[in-house]
Amino acid sequence: MNDQHIVSAFDRDLEGIQAHVMKMGGLVEAAIGEAANAMSTRDEDLAAQVRAADKAIDGLEELINERCANLIALRAPAAVDLRVVLSVMKIAGNLERIGDYAKNMAKRTSVLVHMEQVEGANGSLKRMAHEVQLMLKDVLDAFIQRDADLARDVLERDEGVDQMYNALFREFLTFMMEDPRYITPCMHLHFMAKNTERMGDHVTAIAEQVIYLVTGAMPEDARPKATRLDA
Amino acid sequence: MYDTAKLGTDVIQTTTKISARNVQVYYGDTHAIKNVNVDIEAKSVTAFIGPSGCGKSTFLRCINRMNDTIDVCRVEGDINIDGEDIYDKRVDPVQLRAKVGMVFQKPNPFPKSIYDNIAYGPRIHGLAKNKSDLDEIVEKSLRRGAIWNEVKDRLHAPGTGLSGGQQQRLCIARAIATEPEVLLMDEPCSALDPIATAQVEELIDELRDQFSVVIVTHSMQQAARVSQKTAFFHLGNLVEYGDTSQIFTNPTDERTESYITGRIG
Repeated sequence: MNDQHIVSAFDRDLEGIQAHVMKMGGLVEAAIGEAANAMSTRDEDLAAQVRAADKAIDGLEELINERCANLIALRAPAAVDLRVVLSVMKIAGNLERIGDYAKNMAKRTSVLVHMEQVEGANGSLKRMAHEVQLMLKDVLDAFIQRDADLARDVLERDEGVDQMYNALFREFLTFMMEDPRYITPCMHLHFMAKNTERMGDHVTAIAEQVIYLVTGAMPEDARPKATRLDA
Repeated sequence: MYDTAKLGTDVIQTTTKISARNVQVYYGDTHAIKNVNVDIEAKSVTAFIGPSGCGKSTFLRCINRMNDTIDVCRVEGDINIDGEDIYDKRVDPVQLRAKVGMVFQKPNPFPKSIYDNIAYGPRIHGLAKNKSDLDEIVEKSLRRGAIWNEVKDRLHAPGTGLSGGQQQRLCIARAIATEPEVLLMDEPCSALDPIATAQVEELIDELRDQFSVVIVTHSMQQAARVSQKTAFFHLGNLVEYGDTSQIFTNPTDERTESYITGRIG
């Protein structure tokens, strides 16, 4: 297919919107990494930075939605152009949610630094956040390169994140049963783990949007669900 | 306005009204239509889209043998309406055109009164027994053409005195006065303003209760708005034919995609 529209302003609008998505994706990626770092190094300043940075992410989502609405109204996009606009709006929504979860992690970190440290939990949680961050990076690459295979790969990898979450859940439960003083920090850590698991789900939703964008159809086979909460 | 009521009709089993097989059209040495096969459904709107010179109008004109009037034009292959070959020697093209009505790009009312514009066809085809019969046909056609209220007090004023949009609706009313089964429309809104266009589109949507409508349009948005099926023509080939919603969200052929997204003219 010819890449360029006859009306070149159409190309500029579409490219502009996608550039904003990539910028937003970059900010969210950084937020995940920094939130996890702040947690593991008990760095209150970094946590505060993550919380402040969320405003920019929210602003970008609004901007993207506004640009998409304009593009729909003014250019009546069809076929692949329409799919770009639809998927971009959903991707922006998912990115915004991930940003909120990172912000929430940072908030809990600000509380946790004033509590007793739970040995061993930080490492696993950081690894989990790192995996989600990598998945997000890959799904953004898949989006910009229109690579449905890479998006499918990300979709598969979410199961690993779910397993990490289940393992952490059992770990926190053990800590809390052993020593009631750990209950408050472990509850915070558990919420952080759950938030990270939810981030993975949003990355998965983005991967589905990329597949829809490239193929025109949502992936049919639902990802294998293996959430076992029987600790 | 009738969107919700119309939803039900979309799921009804459809039947083929017009069936074209291996249709080739030549203008002298030019091969204008290359081996087109298509089944057009009864009681639905089918849109033909494609860049200028792609053959969509030429193919449309095959359906009521309008191309017979062009000396250098040669049509091969089969076109059947309700299973009957319209190019059979025994078919009278004039009778065929009463059954397959046509509306053109520019409104072309006869230089006669509004009444006579409508009454002409029914009269020559002997569809009315007497004056009151004819009055009834005229009123019914003008009502179905969604123009009755605007002209009922001046039926004997010249049709050419109406506005462009009114003239076009008059021409549609004229085309349906002979009770055709198929209505061919060649760019019916290209000379109309947006309001008149919307009125004609609303009319097309109502007409599909009774007729098979085939519309050639340069406006892809119009094709998307009015049709249930869309056919994309390119360089004389029928590139893709399918449900309008599928063509406009996820076409299978790259050429269709390029055209509807505005990448090739």
